[in-house]
Amino acid sequence: MTFRIKVWDLPLRIFHWLLVAAVSAAFVTGELGGALQDWHGRIGVAVLGLLVFRLAWGLVGSHHARFSTFFPTPGRVRAYIKGEWQGHGHNPLGALSVLALLGVLATLVSTGLFANDDIAFEGPMVGLISKDLSDQVSYWHSLIFNVLAGLVVLHVAAITFYLKVKKTNLVLPMLTGEKRLPHPVPEHAKGAGLIGFILVAAMSGVVVWIVASGTLLHILQPAPVVPPAPTAAQNW
Amino acid sequence: MKSKLLIALLLILASSAVIAGKAEDQQIKSRQSAYGFAGWNLGKIKDQVVDHPDTYNKDQVIAAANAIAAVANSGLGALFGPGTDEGTGWAKTRLKPEFFQQPEEAKKLATDFNREANELAKVAAGGDAGAIKTQFAKLADTCKACHKSFKIKE
Ligand code: HEC
Ligand code: HEM
Repeated sequence: MTFRIKVWDLPLRIFHWLLVAAVSAAFVTGELGGALQDWHGRIGVAVLGLLVFRLAWGLVGSHHARFSTFFPTPGRVRAYIKGEWQGHGHNPLGALSVLALLGVLATLVSTGLFANDDIAFEGPMVGLISKDLSDQVSYWHSLIFNVLAGLVVLHVAAITFYLKVKKTNLVLPMLTGEKRLPHPVPEHAKGAGLIGFILVAAMSGVVVWIVASGTLLHILQPAPVVPPAPTAAQNW
Repeated sequence: MKSKLLIALLLILASSAVIAGKAEDQQIKSRQSAYGFAGWNLGKIKDQVVDHPDTYNKDQVIAAANAIAAVANSGLGALFGPGTDEGTGWAKTRLKPEFFQQPEEAKKLATDFNREANELAKVAAGGDAGAIKTQFAKLADTCKACHKSFKIKE
């Protein structure tokens, strides 16, 4: 007899696959650049929204989505290495990988906001720093992307290892939300529900809008940015 | 007598090294200025045809496109003399040494840019903002292609 348990709630799964799609698109548009650089910026800012969503959902989502459930404390990591860990969501090593992915992605997005491509694109927060620093940050942005790429490879390799060697399919639960177990499990905390989800999603949307529209820039630096075209008084 | 000659020789050598360095630095400085100026003009075009089409001003876009074409037609190749992958113009050069190992590729990327820049000037004169936007994208892609191959990121 097998028992089905819910591990990943629907918002978390949607988040996960949107993130995969958006980061892939950001990679392609970032590499191609040129005329696609605008799209790179838009997609990158969308990733910022996804990250904000995940942060909030890690507080108010269902049991296995919460950081408090899977945070890899030294005790949990030790137990896992000794083979004594008995959870159903992220195991402590997987949790480390998840937190590293989210952290590096946050750094990547943050640097992107201050980057420029030396052609005709600037991140929405460029106005806060000098061109020299922005050039430097653009360089870090491309370096940090390599770190992300390394983590993604590790992430996929670990999932393949679980599939082939440990005969555990981790991809299916991320699609269906369910895991099958030979024994029943007590009910866990439910997520914030539809209304909560809508609120958290709306909040993430507002953050995206504040950053992308330049509102945040204007709050932090009220001085006007130099106009790019000749003014009426100086149109020679 | 001998030592005087030696000193004179050393002085000539030293000053020629400085002058040689100067010639290269001057090329670097000029091309940095040229690309920086092209970038300023490209930014204005983008602002008026892509970001804020409501501000489209035909004359200003024509002026900007002509300026980019003028840069392209000015013979920029002369600013990429041998040895100019090292030196300092307004800042330390970002030209990759590969530029001199792949002269065919360098020429192709440079002429792609020239062609699209001149085409943009033509399209700008036509005054069709949509067509300008398309041609702007083509030109921006040629900038990116060359930067990807020959401009150091750091
Ligand atoms: C043939 C190759 C090539 C093409 C085409 C090209 N660039 Fe560059 N660009 C370079 C190189 C090389 C540098 C670094 C110059 C140096 O530091 O010596 C550079 C530097 C720059 C810089 C920095 C200038 C500075 O202050 O140091 C800007 C801005 C720039 N390019 C914009 C553009 C734009 C905009 C276009 C297209 C309209 C473009 N470039 C097309 C090769 C190219
Ligand atoms: C998921 C998030 C992101 C990913 C995966 C990503 C990835 C990349 C990649 C792969 C490149 C090419 C680097 C190279 O050529 O070596 C790049 C360049 C760039 N990205 Fe991002 N990026 C992200 C977010 C952002 C954001 C939010 C912005 C700004 C709004 C941004 C702005 C830029 C700029 C301006 C460049 C050009 C840098 C240059 O030419 O020197 N990126 N990015």
